[in-house]
Amino acid sequence: MKATNKNSGFKLPENYLENFNNSLLDKIASQEEMEKDKLPTKEGFNVPNDYFNNLHKNIVEKLNETPIKVISIKSYKKYYYFAIATAAILLLLIGINLNKTETYNMSDLANADIDAYLEYADLDLSAYEIAEVMPIDNLDIIDVLEVGIKEENILDYLDSNMDDFNELNIENNEY
Amino acid sequence: MIEEQTLIDDLKQTETQARAFEKLVNTYKERLYWHIRRIVLNHDDADDVLQNTFIKVYRNIDNFKGDSKLYSWMYRIATNESLSFLKSKSKKMGIDSVELQETLLNNLESDVYFEGDKIQLKLQKAIATLPEKQKLVFNMKYFDEMKYDEISEVLETSVGGLKASYHLATKKIEAYLKEN
Repeated sequence: MKATNKNSGFKLPENYLENFNNSLLDKIASQEEMEKDKLPTKEGFNVPNDYFNNLHKNIVEKLNETPIKVISIKSYKKYYYFAIATAAILLLLIGINLNKTETYNMSDLANADIDAYLEYADLDLSAYEIAEVMPIDNLDIIDVLEVGIKEENILDYLDSNMDDFNELNIENNEY
Repeated sequence: MIEEQTLIDDLKQTETQARAFEKLVNTYKERLYWHIRRIVLNHDDADDVLQNTFIKVYRNIDNFKGDSKLYSWMYRIATNESLSFLKSKSKKMGIDSVELQETLLNNLESDVYFEGDKIQLKLQKAIATLPEKQKLVFNMKYFDEMKYDEISEVLETSVGGLKASYHLATKKIEAYLKEN
């Protein structure tokens, strides 16, 4: 084999062949470095010799050694006693409260609660129906009005707005 | 599929149980072992968890309804057993899960059953930085080369969610390896 090619007309860079070996080795080294930087596909974990061969035998041994876990009721005995005692006390307290019948009357209810009930509950009562059950005898004007009205103002009002005094039910009313 | 059904039926019958269990162990032991080992890192712990996984499978085979593949069901048990094992280990040691991972990785360097080189150790360190779910997905996809459908059956997560988890995991690992 000829070491040179006289007829091709191709030319080589200076010292190309002399430096070829070094540049090739550099390239190989850099490729190896790149390979190293790649993520490994194996974790590097290892197992003892014959580990997988003996595994079934080991599992069967362990299976026989560890019978199905039965939770002993004895070890929880004190907790059961505690739970039973607590339940008994609670039942006793609830029982006492159930037997105690408390009686309530209107004075136990806050006025605001009654107002709210009348306002929001759908009572479907007309003013006349309410008037029928309202104890007019005991009703005072200040029960329905927050600010009292002077008698002279009432008379003035009646004087200017009332054409027929017969419309007024004055039988049981002082006005 | 027919073979799997036969194996399940045999496991449920007393007279064929022992032989079927041996077949089950021999068929799945290596795949399950590596799955567990990647989570717990240490061989002795992996051995403990693997044995408990098979014992659980053996004792609960009657509860296996066949909604998923037997293999996926066992994988799910192995995953849960591994995660519970790590939780109880960190509890026993009085440290949190991050500290436990650090301890496990430090022990890995001196583990006689770890023969990984620097980059393999670095990769394990990178994986340890991932959240639990991403860690599982990465290991199952990258090392186990499981399909997304299979991972989806084991982890009971949508394929889309798994793809996103894997993408995030690889990005984080790349970033970790560049920084460290």
